[in-house]
Amino acid sequence: MARILVIAEQRDGKLSEATLELCKAAKEIASGLGATPAAAVFFKDDSLAKEVATYIPEVFAVVDGKLGAYDADYYSQAVKAVVEAKDVKGVLIPHSYDGVDYAGKAALAIGAGIVSNCNKAVVEGGAVVFTRNTYNGKIQEQKSVKTDKFVATFEKGAYDKEAAGGAGSVTAVSVSLVDSRRKIKEIIATVAGSVDISQAKVIIAGGRGTKEKDKYNDVIVNLAKKLGGEFAASRPVVDAGWTDAARQVGQSGKTVAPVLYVAAGISGAIQHVAGMKGSQCIVAINKDPEAPIFNIATYGIVGDLFEVIPAMMEALG
Amino acid sequence: MKIVVLVKEVPDMESKFKIIGDAKIDESQIAFKMNDFDEYAVEAALQLKEKLGGEVVILSSGPERVTKEVRQAFAMGADWGIHVCDPQIDEGDNFVVAGALVKAIESVGGVDLVLTGVQADDDQAALTGVFVADMMNFVHCTNVVKIEVGGDQKALTVNRELEGGLNEVLEMAMPAVLSIQSGINQPRYPTLPGIMKAKKKRLDLKKAADLGVSALGEAGSKTKFHKMYFPVSEHKAEIIQGDAKAAAKTLVDKLRNEAKVI
Repeated sequence: MARILVIAEQRDGKLSEATLELCKAAKEIASGLGATPAAAVFFKDDSLAKEVATYIPEVFAVVDGKLGAYDADYYSQAVKAVVEAKDVKGVLIPHSYDGVDYAGKAALAIGAGIVSNCNKAVVEGGAVVFTRNTYNGKIQEQKSVKTDKFVATFEKGAYDKEAAGGAGSVTAVSVSLVDSRRKIKEIIATVAGSVDISQAKVIIAGGRGTKEKDKYNDVIVNLAKKLGGEFAASRPVVDAGWTDAARQVGQSGKTVAPVLYVAAGISGAIQHVAGMKGSQCIVAINKDPEAPIFNIATYGIVGDLFEVIPAMMEALG
Repeated sequence: MKIVVLVKEVPDMESKFKIIGDAKIDESQIAFKMNDFDEYAVEAALQLKEKLGGEVVILSSGPERVTKEVRQAFAMGADWGIHVCDPQIDEGDNFVVAGALVKAIESVGGVDLVLTGVQADDDQAALTGVFVADMMNFVHCTNVVKIEVGGDQKALTVNRELEGGLNEVLEMAMPAVLSIQSGINQPRYPTLPGIMKAKKKRLDLKKAADLGVSALGEAGSKTKFHKMYFPVSEHKAEIIQGDAKAAAKTLVDKLRNEAKVI
């Protein structure tokens, strides 16, 4: 029977949450297609394959000393080897920084169409129809592949995590890896600074809509002070140098889950939402009524943050 | 150093979006601009040229109006460009477009580096750079936030951004394709003399037939588009009505007495 294959993701031997989410996705898609769910684990030993087998019934372990750390050349070769050896119809990859680095290459290697950055997949008439965000999350589209096999990358949080507890099989798949053209020199931390916003109970975050450094300070920093919380930012604010990288919330920054998260002038791109959607109460202030941030907020005000925040300061007394 | 930068025109996301049928956005309502991530790629290329010499070639696929974005890159300092202008290419998926871009890059010859943005704001696919690299058998790296070219101009050291404030430092030989992440630099504004010069710079127009592209349109695509629509959220925020002052007052009251979070 054909297989729907999750490519496990790890850093320093720790599985990513996205891998567990894709185990759930693979089971759903496989059930709709009359296929079986499976996973492939590329690592320096078989320890991780055994761990993944508690989430999914069948695991293929490609074990090689070269696979301790992620590498695009190795991963696309390993995907091809497993797909060719094990009757794989679909390959599911996290839409993470590593995932987008090799998914396209893996798709070309196996001659498959790829739909990237998906948030849903349904089986209709024997075909998998993928839903994905476009235009910064303002519009969604549905696509499928025309090839016999498919590759899909899924954004973080698209599916619930699968719970551990099963006892799947682990089968070795051998592959002779051609040397990668990339050499990892080191991994470095780029975020300096002592502030740890992940511990804050109240976070006031500003985005592109805060317009400039002085204005960001005026509204965001002051409201944070008033509420005894921390100020934070979405990526464009950090890129522009209005605040430190240590205060960036999102995929490439911190993950936070405060009691109150105020997102001002932040549209709600998935990369930002990934870092703050666990917040208890989310307030969105944005001029654009169609900003995706309103889809996850508890309370929303459609308006100019430079009018709303001073008015909030006043109301707070 | 011969550097090709792949530039895409995208809608300004502040535009008012309307969907025609369930198939495409109403472009008459849209303001177009250069994809933000590609602007960082253009700047990165110009900085490398200033340091190491050589030339920066802008390559864009799209309708006639994309000459505006190509000329913008010229005004920033790029040397010349190629405009792939053929609806049969634009009607294809990322696979078709990447195939055409590869042919155009090959027509330049002797390219050391191909730079592009990490993704386009419109389709958010993050595929084109990786496809181009693989089709040309170039080594690639995505999410690049730092580039250093070795003394012999044959090898690169790049920082690839990882999640959670980490960078992976990688070494690779050229030719290579790098997808540039935001924050790597501050893209320069075109100067007035730059804008004047940009008008005279060489821009080669290429059709699919000129490039010898075989995979075209929907037929050449590996994916099939079904439909597009505005997202329907199961959850919607409670939108607080009133002018700024009234809404702020209500919000503070709700945060205190309803959500009890302040």
